Amino acid sequence: MSDEFDLLILGSGSTAFAAAIRAAGLGARVAMVERRTLGGTCANRGCLPSKNLIEAARIVHEAAHPRYAGLTPAEVGVDFGALVAQKDDVVREYRAKKYASVADGLTDLELLGGDATFVDSHTVQVGDRQVFGDRILIATGSRPTIPAIPGLDAISYLTSDLLDADEVGRLTELPASLAVLGGGYVAVELAQMFARLGSRVTMVARSELLSGYEPELGRILTDVFQAEGIEVLTGARVNQVRGDARGVELAIEQGGAGRDVQAARLLVTTGRTPNTDTLGLERAGFGVDDAGFVTVDAQLRTSQSHVWGAGDVIGRQHGSQMATPVGARQGRIVADNAFTDAGRRFDGSVIPRAIFTDPPIAVVGLSEAEVKSRHLPAVTATTPLAYVPRAGAVHRTTGLVKMIASTIDQRVLGVHVIGEAAPEIIHEAAMAMRFKANLADFVDLIHVYPTMSEALKIGAQAFSRDVSKLSCCAE
Amino acid sequence: MTEHIVYIDLGVGGMTCDDCVVHVAEALESVPGVESASVDLASRSAVVTARPDVPSDALASAVRTTGQYNAFERRRRAASGE
Repeated sequence: MSDEFDLLILGSGSTAFAAAIRAAGLGARVAMVERRTLGGTCANRGCLPSKNLIEAARIVHEAAHPRYAGLTPAEVGVDFGALVAQKDDVVREYRAKKYASVADGLTDLELLGGDATFVDSHTVQVGDRQVFGDRILIATGSRPTIPAIPGLDAISYLTSDLLDADEVGRLTELPASLAVLGGGYVAVELAQMFARLGSRVTMVARSELLSGYEPELGRILTDVFQAEGIEVLTGARVNQVRGDARGVELAIEQGGAGRDVQAARLLVTTGRTPNTDTLGLERAGFGVDDAGFVTVDAQLRTSQSHVWGAGDVIGRQHGSQMATPVGARQGRIVADNAFTDAGRRFDGSVIPRAIFTDPPIAVVGLSEAEVKSRHLPAVTATTPLAYVPRAGAVHRTTGLVKMIASTIDQRVLGVHVIGEAAPEIIHEAAMAMRFKANLADFVDLIHVYPTMSEALKIGAQAFSRDVSKLSCCAE
Repeated sequence: MTEHIVYIDLGVGGMTCDDCVVHVAEALESVPGVESASVDLASRSAVVTARPDVPSDALASAVRTTGQYNAFERRRRAASGE
């Protein structure tokens, strides 16, 4: 009987924990199965460790490149091993406080270590145990995608798993040079981080940087990266990879011409793949799409009425995004739907998202391309941060805010920011959009002067006036 | 027409004290067709003795309408000797 649970959760990340906490509160006996480290990607090898090291890299860079005349550049020494060790301490402490101790505090939660494979739609094999779940949540997350490039499987390469504190893929020595394959959010964050810590970095991206975002964002970032000494090769195809203990060599094709890129190490950051391939889903009786994402309805239920999917494993269905807080929201929804008659649906229409480069990027809502594809009558205004008083006052004018509003009722449909404090100020936009705010609402709100949040007010004013001629406090 | 009695096992969430146990038991026993309800705080569960045609939704709903507790059906068992 001890191997029967009301809710059997595959995975132990933010999605799994949110579901477990809620389900336990609703009276359920819950088990969680994890084959790697408790806490999932974000806590162990994603958001948390990367943000720790990115901030350290910023300190190194700012010391060497003070933005103010009158400040002398200073060199901050980098002991990469010690830096990684403190990051590991942060990760372990966070994991203990936010995951392990929470799990300990839950009544009737059992943690099971090992690979999970379905025996039938209610039964999962974990090691030598067969575990029965009356209801089951697939929250196994995702892992770095490894592209099919000739030679890649024969060499040693890094992925974002380099951030892990305990696994073999972790990195403890700073590479003298690094080739970064990919141009998405993980690629740009890690490329800049390594460059600032002292690696010579070459980015090799199939299209432009951040091609899934508003094109202005990737263009500005490319300029910044090049100014910082990062080589950015876009529109590049990798035909072959070779390597040995001394380094790697990528044979690439760019604009019809071939060239070789050499580096001490290769970092592969070309997207994320759902962890569904080893679960034996064919015995569970529900479907995945061609890329392996679990197919769910808006209540996050699979075609098996007692099985749900949430977090990274559902990809972009129903407006979802692969992000820790999105998974956490979905985990709670699943618990409510599994143990009450709430019938909750996931709403992905307002999800703020940030990329922690410098300058950072944050977006919420629709892009210009999405507005066009949905045939929504809309107008766009793009405002350089040079018009934001604080940006000028602290010499941080690189960036822009792009707002998209409906021409029917001036409701704000999308906000895209690259610039100082973007990941913080995006929440004003997100909250406003949650309550269906229009441009006038952004303008009417009194903003603290001088803050970067004024970018949203000025960005909204730009739809109706020349913001290059605004007075102080932008009235 | 059967006069069978079944045991219905429920998971119950939200109980923190003996008063909660009483409230949940009262809610369950208010459902037509329920003969008795035995609620256990430590295991966060209840066993309802009831006629077999009592819908599980009715039991869960009676507990939820208290506004403080949640319940869901785990399984039904034939009462021994029936």
